[in-house]
Amino acid sequence: MNDQDTIVAVATPHGESAISMLRISGPKCLSLVDNVFKRKSPPRPRRSSHGDYISLSDELLDDVVYCYYQGPSSYTGEDSLEIMCHGNPLIASKVLHDLVGRGCRQADPGEFTQRAFLNGRIDLTQAEAVMELIQARSDKAIRVANNQLRGAFGKQLAVLKDQLLSNVAVIEAYIDFPEEDLPEEQKQAQINGIQKVMTFCSRLIDSSKYAALLRDGVKTLILGEPNAGKSSLLNCLLGFDRAIVSEEPGTTRDFLQERLILGDYSIQLLDTAGLREAEGTIERQGILKTIELAEEADVFLLVVDGSLPCPTLPEEILGKMNSENTIVIRNKEDLPKSEEGYSILSGFSSVSICAKDGNGLEGLRNTLFSLIDSNFSSADDELILINARHSLALNELKECLEQALAKFELDESAELIASDMRGAIDAIGRILGRIDNEDMLDVLFSSFCIGK
Amino acid sequence: MNFLKDPFDVIVCGAGHAGCEAALAAARMGVRTLVLSGNIDTIAQMSCNPAIGGVAKGQIVREIDALGGEMAVNTDVTGIQFRLLNASKGPAVQSPRAQCDKRAYALRMKHVLELQENLQVFQATVTGLIFKDGKVVGCRTNIDVDFHAKTVVITTGTFLRGLMHIGKNKNEGGRMGDYSAKTLSGSFLEAGIELERLKTGTPPRLLGRTIDFNNLEEQKGDFDPTLFAFHDTRDERDLFHVEQKGETLAGWKPGTDQVSCWITYTSEQTANVVNENLHLSAMYGGEIEGTGPRYCPSIEDKFVRFADRSRHLLFLEPEGRHTDEYYINGLSTSLPFETQIEMIRSISGLEEAQLLRPAYAVEYDFAPPTQVFPHLESKKVENLFFAGQINGTSGYEEAACQGLVAGVNAALKVRGDEPLVLKRHDGYIGVLIDDLVTKGTQEPYRMFTSRAEHRLLFNHGSSENRMFDYAKKYRLLADSRISKIEKKRSDIEGCIKWMNSNRVGELTWANLVRRNQPDFEMPKELMGYSKEVRDEAMYQVKYDGYLKREWKQVEKLKNVENIKIPVGFDFLTVNGLKKECALKLNDFQPANLGQASRISGVNPADISILMIRFSS
Repeated sequence: MNDQDTIVAVATPHGESAISMLRISGPKCLSLVDNVFKRKSPPRPRRSSHGDYISLSDELLDDVVYCYYQGPSSYTGEDSLEIMCHGNPLIASKVLHDLVGRGCRQADPGEFTQRAFLNGRIDLTQAEAVMELIQARSDKAIRVANNQLRGAFGKQLAVLKDQLLSNVAVIEAYIDFPEEDLPEEQKQAQINGIQKVMTFCSRLIDSSKYAALLRDGVKTLILGEPNAGKSSLLNCLLGFDRAIVSEEPGTTRDFLQERLILGDYSIQLLDTAGLREAEGTIERQGILKTIELAEEADVFLLVVDGSLPCPTLPEEILGKMNSENTIVIRNKEDLPKSEEGYSILSGFSSVSICAKDGNGLEGLRNTLFSLIDSNFSSADDELILINARHSLALNELKECLEQALAKFELDESAELIASDMRGAIDAIGRILGRIDNEDMLDVLFSSFCIGK
Repeated sequence: MNFLKDPFDVIVCGAGHAGCEAALAAARMGVRTLVLSGNIDTIAQMSCNPAIGGVAKGQIVREIDALGGEMAVNTDVTGIQFRLLNASKGPAVQSPRAQCDKRAYALRMKHVLELQENLQVFQATVTGLIFKDGKVVGCRTNIDVDFHAKTVVITTGTFLRGLMHIGKNKNEGGRMGDYSAKTLSGSFLEAGIELERLKTGTPPRLLGRTIDFNNLEEQKGDFDPTLFAFHDTRDERDLFHVEQKGETLAGWKPGTDQVSCWITYTSEQTANVVNENLHLSAMYGGEIEGTGPRYCPSIEDKFVRFADRSRHLLFLEPEGRHTDEYYINGLSTSLPFETQIEMIRSISGLEEAQLLRPAYAVEYDFAPPTQVFPHLESKKVENLFFAGQINGTSGYEEAACQGLVAGVNAALKVRGDEPLVLKRHDGYIGVLIDDLVTKGTQEPYRMFTSRAEHRLLFNHGSSENRMFDYAKKYRLLADSRISKIEKKRSDIEGCIKWMNSNRVGELTWANLVRRNQPDFEMPKELMGYSKEVRDEAMYQVKYDGYLKREWKQVEKLKNVENIKIPVGFDFLTVNGLKKECALKLNDFQPANLGQASRISGVNPADISILMIRFSS
């Protein structure tokens, strides 16, 4: 890393908008202000000013609002500059190129946050939360990332840590101070305390799947026989023609992927190739791909042509479906209804629609929303595990606690239990930062009167 | 006085537990050493309780023995009661502890110093240091004689501007009846060494014949005592004090004439007396500015901080065989003398007890230990070493092990050799010094087993094994003992190999050991080995999985320990490092990234930055 560089990036999303913002960080910021805006006096930090952006070739690019931040009181901890220009992509890009011409370097993804982290402005969990925030694709995911940014996740872990420290302090007190007049050892209370931490820890680990779901969206597989109307359904849900719709079965040979926002949730819709004995090699590959996708799917939307008898599904897929993750969509409700063979689908919720004219679509949206909501809303916003590093540490924490509990049951010596508990403290320290033994001693000496 | 005029290699200022080990270690390494004490009648004085060892401390004493120190032997031959603590908590945290005859302990140590080749003992109070070109070159004394040396080891204990408190009463001195080193602090300040104040306390001493032992709980020694020294030193000539019963020639016999300690408790009346007189306490009356230890609070602290406790435990420890003086462990206080008497009267068994010495608190200067390198040499003044309470520690054992390390390193410095630096995974001494130099201390630092992250590696029986490479490299032990340890190590390996390769039915003996059966019996084939060898082999076999896990952790940590930081490196030149953190690191001058990571206020993000800087 070379932080002598001054980095620049357009901070607002690409496209038409009211305002585009460019963010600049590094030692050049102050001289940029002088050279670009030809100021008479140095800018006051954290005050917005109005100015004409004059390019290197003396061309007026835009009239802009800019704000200078003096390091270390800035997001990155370095001198920084924000330039707000009119929201025309062409203007923003011209300004960007001009800044590069003046010696700035285009920032790598996440580089501002990385600098903030390296300059000690934010800690690791906060840095990660910022990255999550950038990648978050639904309201709920944004809320979660914001929570973490404010330290909600850190606070949860701090509670865990305190509970653990008090458990360890008790064990250590009996080891290090055997001749003190300590109260009788309460083995059961210890076990209860550890179990409490474990339950909490398990909940956090369980929620990691939920976190991935928020980040990547609920993987929703649209499947069914050829020409049942899968692609029409996709188009209906998205509101524009994404899939090629034709009367010829087997048009969708690979799969299509689209994102849909439904209430709080981000949904990843996957339209698959039709399921049936394939004639062409390409089509056969499409079906194999569908089976593979089914392995990871969160929700199945089984589209059937309601006027035809119930189709037979491959075992590999049927086995994954259950009443909590599947909705049977009986398409073509305008045609006469067939009942033949439908008893095997009776355990699933069922919605009738007509994808062609959009009838019943609202009902489908509602059913899908409540299915996702009832499956995934149990984890509250506060209780969310955000990334793989956290997950690894928490799994290790849980493992250590399991071992400690087993040793309690077998009445093994305190020093071995303490060794497992120390492993647990180290694991949590990998998220929160190293936990010094002094912290444990503080708890120990405030809970026990040691003084021989 | 020609002998004192020639410059010495090492001068040790102070002859307490740190000073004695420092002087002996340096002299035994063959360099010309002088030890100065303000009063040579108080060499190795046990200023507080008459006991050596205990949890974690016992392990330290055994490590001292494994590095050629004297404390273990001195304890073994002057001990009057031996107990192995933590018998039920597992072998790694089991610790030997001995009550010693206080006078015998001090007298024998003085005699060892007197007899030591290359060592000169002399009575004089050090009043200042002599510096030249940023180095220490000697010291001045109260008799207006200057002594010169290549290196100086400071072991001043509580004597630096020592001030004792009994209520509002104040006496200058490092210990009741002794003087205070008043002017030496000035030398440190002059050299740019910062000083701060700490506080500690000691309880009253009582006359035994006035104590009613009838209702007190007796605590006897172990029938089969665990001794501290690894080599058997106790032949007839070595027996200094411990008396013999019967016709034995083999030294002290188990079950013969160990003394007992006694247990009593404070009463409700004691609590009332303390609470009513709190304002008169030097601690609570605002007379004391130094910080006292959390693990050894005064009795007023106990009643205030744990007000819900109805009583507090007190241990009555005999101070020797030829004295009737008892140490009242747990009753440390700075309350006025009259209140102390009232307090004693309220305690069961002590109603009629006569005081021989009052309790008092003592305040003293210490030099925050972040100012020394891990080999205990000052970062500010070359050739100046610090050990013991001056570094902010508490306890005879903590002091002694630092003395040993400082003494060895002073001698190594004189010879121009690489210093001895013990690592955190070597033993408690390594943990202690690393904690001190990287974290400093807010209270008198005492060792606990919980401070060691690799505690399971530190069972007391393995000390000789753990310290062996250092003892051999620096020639800290006699050749005969080195070869004995080599033999022991190969015996232990042989024993373990045997257990791993011989079977009982389906299982190897090693498997059987790990099954934890209570009626396990040692196979006949191994009975030829000494008990010491068998015990250590059993430990290693039984804890095999845990020890491997610990070593794996050690190896992992070694990666950061192995990232060296050049001497005199300027951290301000590191891009991205917070200025505050860089200044702190400049101050500490850590030798490697591992040390840097343990410095308080240096966070993981700083370490990632340094890792990028130093590993590229």
